[in-house]
Amino acid sequence: MSKECECPGAKMQDFGKEEVKGAEEGKRASQLRQWPVQLHLVSPEAPYFQKADVLLSADCVAYSAGDFHKEYMKGKTIAIACPKLDEGQETYIEKITSLIDDAKINTLTVMTMEVPCCGVLVSIAQKGLQAAKRKIPVKSIVIGIRGGNVLSEEWIS
Amino acid sequence: MQAYLNAPIKEVISKFPKVADILNGYEIGCVPCSVGTCLLKDVVAIHNIGEENKAQLMYEVEKAIYPDREVKRPVINKAAKAKPEILRYSPPLRMLVNEHLLIKRLLNCVPAIVKALKEDTVIDKEPVIGAVDFIRMYADKFHHAKEEDILFKYFDEKADIIQAMLNDHVEGRSHVKEVLNGLKDNKIDAVSQHLSAYAELLTGHIKKEDEILYPWMDKNLTVKQVGELFDKFNAVDNGLQRGVEETYKGRIEDLEAKFIQK
Repeated sequence: MSKECECPGAKMQDFGKEEVKGAEEGKRASQLRQWPVQLHLVSPEAPYFQKADVLLSADCVAYSAGDFHKEYMKGKTIAIACPKLDEGQETYIEKITSLIDDAKINTLTVMTMEVPCCGVLVSIAQKGLQAAKRKIPVKSIVIGIRGGNVLSEEWIS
Repeated sequence: MQAYLNAPIKEVISKFPKVADILNGYEIGCVPCSVGTCLLKDVVAIHNIGEENKAQLMYEVEKAIYPDREVKRPVINKAAKAKPEILRYSPPLRMLVNEHLLIKRLLNCVPAIVKALKEDTVIDKEPVIGAVDFIRMYADKFHHAKEEDILFKYFDEKADIIQAMLNDHVEGRSHVKEVLNGLKDNKIDAVSQHLSAYAELLTGHIKKEDEILYPWMDKNLTVKQVGELFDKFNAVDNGLQRGVEETYKGRIEDLEAKFIQK
């Protein structure tokens, strides 16, 4: 019998099949206004990053936060990454620095899941900011794995 | 109740004095406010007392206004009463709060400066001149200008809460003018009186901004606006006003060395 993984980021959890009620009328419009979105693939030189309000989201967030497009993506340029599984995270730091210094982004909002390993994405953003010549406001929003609630939302620099 | 929610707080307190005690119980300092035109609903909304406390406060106010009316008592955790949420400011508003720290260090020197004016046989005007220079160049031209020329433009400047802050700025400038007149005319009592009045005014003003105005503003600013404000404040700090922070920090250290640490 295999031992169940105890890492909070990978531990099995069944949320059950109970239907969650919400306002579901009408078709939601996508708020995505660019391609690509993966942090390795995006270019800080892209016009949509210039002076933008950037959302750096952990991959899983969009699957947990029911209103991700409407509440968080709207009006922002996005980049996504998985701080647990992605390789080349030094490149991520350099890319954040370039977004701040070269694309002169206005703000950076980092959305992560509540699992501990996701916090690395916040750390990547902070390292990118520390290496930059410009300073910008950085906000951290942490989403709960069950129900997609906002567990914390604060300006971290 | 709706009519009282849309009534100026001074009017509500005058009609129902018990409301003043209720507000004081939640450390909401509207009672001695000289303006008092903020609406009751805004007073409740903008103070940083937590949602449960707001519900309890509204219950108590409604009972004070309508003692015979059956009002549903909210379920709240009593331990939470009067414990404000921890204040976490956005980066641009944190810059202003940090500037308040330096201004408060000057205000802390004022009683000793005034004491020296009253007690010393040979009057030394230099500390007063230094304090006035700090007030004019740092507190007013550097700090209040960021508020008046940049921050307040993001809000309705006719709103009562903004008007109350602007009135404080005007009153502060008037005290500074009187301090200078007193120095020129050798009226040391007037200098002491207006310098003390300025310190008292600014102490209350900073408390209102730190605890009420800025948290309310942070709740209403979009992420985009926070970025813009941060950029504009940095442009001030690194533009014509470059070096002001360091210069006046040095001046305060000199005043503290003379009046606080002796």
